[in-house]
Amino acid sequence: MNQPVESIAEQKSVYLRDFEHAPARDGEPEWLTALRRRGIEAFERRGFPHSKEESWRKTRLSQVANTHYTVQPAAGEASVLAGYRPAVEAGPCLVFLDGRFDAERSRWAELPAGVTAAPLSELDGAAATAVENHLGTLAPVDEHPFAALNTAFVQDVMVIHAARGSLSETPISVVFASSDSEEQAVYPRLLVVVESGAELRVVEQHVGGGANYLSCPVTELVAADGAILDYYRVQEPGDAARQLGTVSTRAGKDAAVRMHTLAAGGQLSRTDIYADLDGTGADVELNGLYLTEGRQFCDHHTWVSHNTEHTTSRQVFKGVLDGRSETVFDGLVKVAEGAQKTDAQQENRNLLMSKMALAHSNPRLEIYADDVKCSHGSTTGQLDKEALFYLRSRGVGPADAKSMLVFAFANEMLEPIKVSGLHDYERGLLFRRLPGDETVREVV
Amino acid sequence: MALLEIENLHAAIDGTEILKGINLTLNTGEVHAIMGPNGSGKSTLAKVLAGDEAYEVTQGSIRYNGQDLLDMDPEIRAREGMFLGFQYPVEIPGVSNTYFLKAAVNAIRKHRGQDEMDAMEFLQLIRERAKTVKLEDTLLQRPVNEGFSGGEKKRNEVFQMAVLEPVLAILDETDSGLDIDALRTVAEGVNAMRSAERGFLVITHYQRLLNYIVPDHVHVLLGGKVVKSGGKELAKELEQSGYAMFGEQAA
Ligand SMILES: Nc1ncnc2c1ncn2[C@@H]1O[C@H](COP(=O)(O)OP(=O)(O)O)[C@@H](O)[C@H]1O
Ligand SMILES: [Mg+2]
Repeated sequence: MNQPVESIAEQKSVYLRDFEHAPARDGEPEWLTALRRRGIEAFERRGFPHSKEESWRKTRLSQVANTHYTVQPAAGEASVLAGYRPAVEAGPCLVFLDGRFDAERSRWAELPAGVTAAPLSELDGAAATAVENHLGTLAPVDEHPFAALNTAFVQDVMVIHAARGSLSETPISVVFASSDSEEQAVYPRLLVVVESGAELRVVEQHVGGGANYLSCPVTELVAADGAILDYYRVQEPGDAARQLGTVSTRAGKDAAVRMHTLAAGGQLSRTDIYADLDGTGADVELNGLYLTEGRQFCDHHTWVSHNTEHTTSRQVFKGVLDGRSETVFDGLVKVAEGAQKTDAQQENRNLLMSKMALAHSNPRLEIYADDVKCSHGSTTGQLDKEALFYLRSRGVGPADAKSMLVFAFANEMLEPIKVSGLHDYERGLLFRRLPGDETVREVV
Repeated sequence: MALLEIENLHAAIDGTEILKGINLTLNTGEVHAIMGPNGSGKSTLAKVLAGDEAYEVTQGSIRYNGQDLLDMDPEIRAREGMFLGFQYPVEIPGVSNTYFLKAAVNAIRKHRGQDEMDAMEFLQLIRERAKTVKLEDTLLQRPVNEGFSGGEKKRNEVFQMAVLEPVLAILDETDSGLDIDALRTVAEGVNAMRSAERGFLVITHYQRLLNYIVPDHVHVLLGGKVVKSGGKELAKELEQSGYAMFGEQAA
């Protein structure tokens, strides 16, 4: 449905009005107030993306633009958290409900030496200064309207800071949950700063109940020179949810950022992943698996920029699509002038479980240097009929045969997971989507 | 007792008729060989017997152990003891040979009302059977057929047959592309399984396999029809005179 221009203009002013009428935030530092203002101004300038805008063409936003999603005065009932067990059993797990820190539901564990993990509202000292220095520096506030809204309306910020040279194998988990409140807007925000030579593992999870809500999570990951960051993201928004978010990272000299995402659930979800390789020797890995069914729409846009020489990036995104679901993978690799010896790989593979499912795949390369190695590949297809017959000819039933093949296809993305517990959790998510009975769970 | 009775079988793929009235009866305990030039329909017959849905049976009937075979799904045929060794075994990335076989063994046992095999028992079984066909242990852990050499793929088929212990084994050109050592190993694997309770349908392009697996009956398939049947000496005859003795069709 096309929106008349007036109505979109009206929508804008609704968010501006909300901003102007927001309750006073006593004790908020000035820099944060200024950042919020920058957010709302960017949104006012930018507005919701037009249906003709190239990078937003396939993301149907009329429903989002036509609904006035509002920040709730307090966190609501969270049926999704009743009996909820976080994916990772080890280490601290901080829970945010409707964007607000929930101390009671959080799990405390001893933090590794040199690591700070706390909501901004409870932070002071060096970590607080790091937040002031970094928050909003990576997120595409001016280009991405939902990152702009997040910046304007953010309730609290989850901050994880690894001091210079600190090493920690214990993962830090953060769960962003959305309550059962209808038509609420949630603005989860995560900032991770890994200082020089430090190593850190972070798990970010998104869960929500059955309400129609809008979630606009914004994550910023700073990897200073020589830092190593393993970042895992599991998205399970509720069935009627719209989730439009961004993840941005900047990798310094010899820094390594390894990102692993799993997207399942949500009526409409889109994640824009930005990676800036700013220092020589920087290495970024983006792995993504998306599992869709019903009428879900799931979109991944990646924006990988090789800004200097001797940088490497590898992207592998795989989708398993069922029902009438629709997915987008749109990946841009940009090699800046002078970024010689760039090595960039990009791959997108989609498995269609149903004839009605639709996968869009759009790998893009923009290269302004001449001594580079870049490759990309994209395939979309159904289960291999010959393989299915081969399995059945050995006595394996059709549903189990399908399960084995789908599992094999998707499991490649789960194998590199280094956080114990998370691996099993993601396998569980995958198993729930397999057509067979118990057999495949037992044999794989 | 007749294990397999094929009567006037016609089958087509993509609307093209390939099998044009095949008759063949195989009794329990017998080894039959099917020979014929490339394109004569040997693999088509094998795939139709195994239940490949890409083929359409347009006429005729197949009885297996007294049951209507065409009424059974491929996995039911397998669970009822049928095995097809593929001419071109399929590569299945990401599915380990062992896990795949375990799923197969347990599906078959369940069908027969037996308990699942426990893990240790199963491992012992596959190690022992792998040895009989000289399949390297490392191949057991690898994804099914992925990166296997041609010979390894064929040996893997015979290995699977040895594990699944079928009642009727159909081997489609299991000898093609094998050197003499591998050929002997494969033949030994088959011969070790020959018994009064089991039947074999050995499809081959060359007669040399039949020096090692001596058949009870030989059928010559040409243009989708059995043009001649006889004893093991028919294979020798073919070796000498070639398929030309059957006229232009064979050219
Ligand atoms: N999809 C198809 N459509 C039409 N003809 C086919 C198709 N697939 C195979 N054929 C034909 O079927 C015939 C028999 O093939 P096949 O059974 O593989 O022979 P063989 O195993 O004896 O070499 C060949 O002539 C081949 O060209
Ligand atoms: Mg053939």
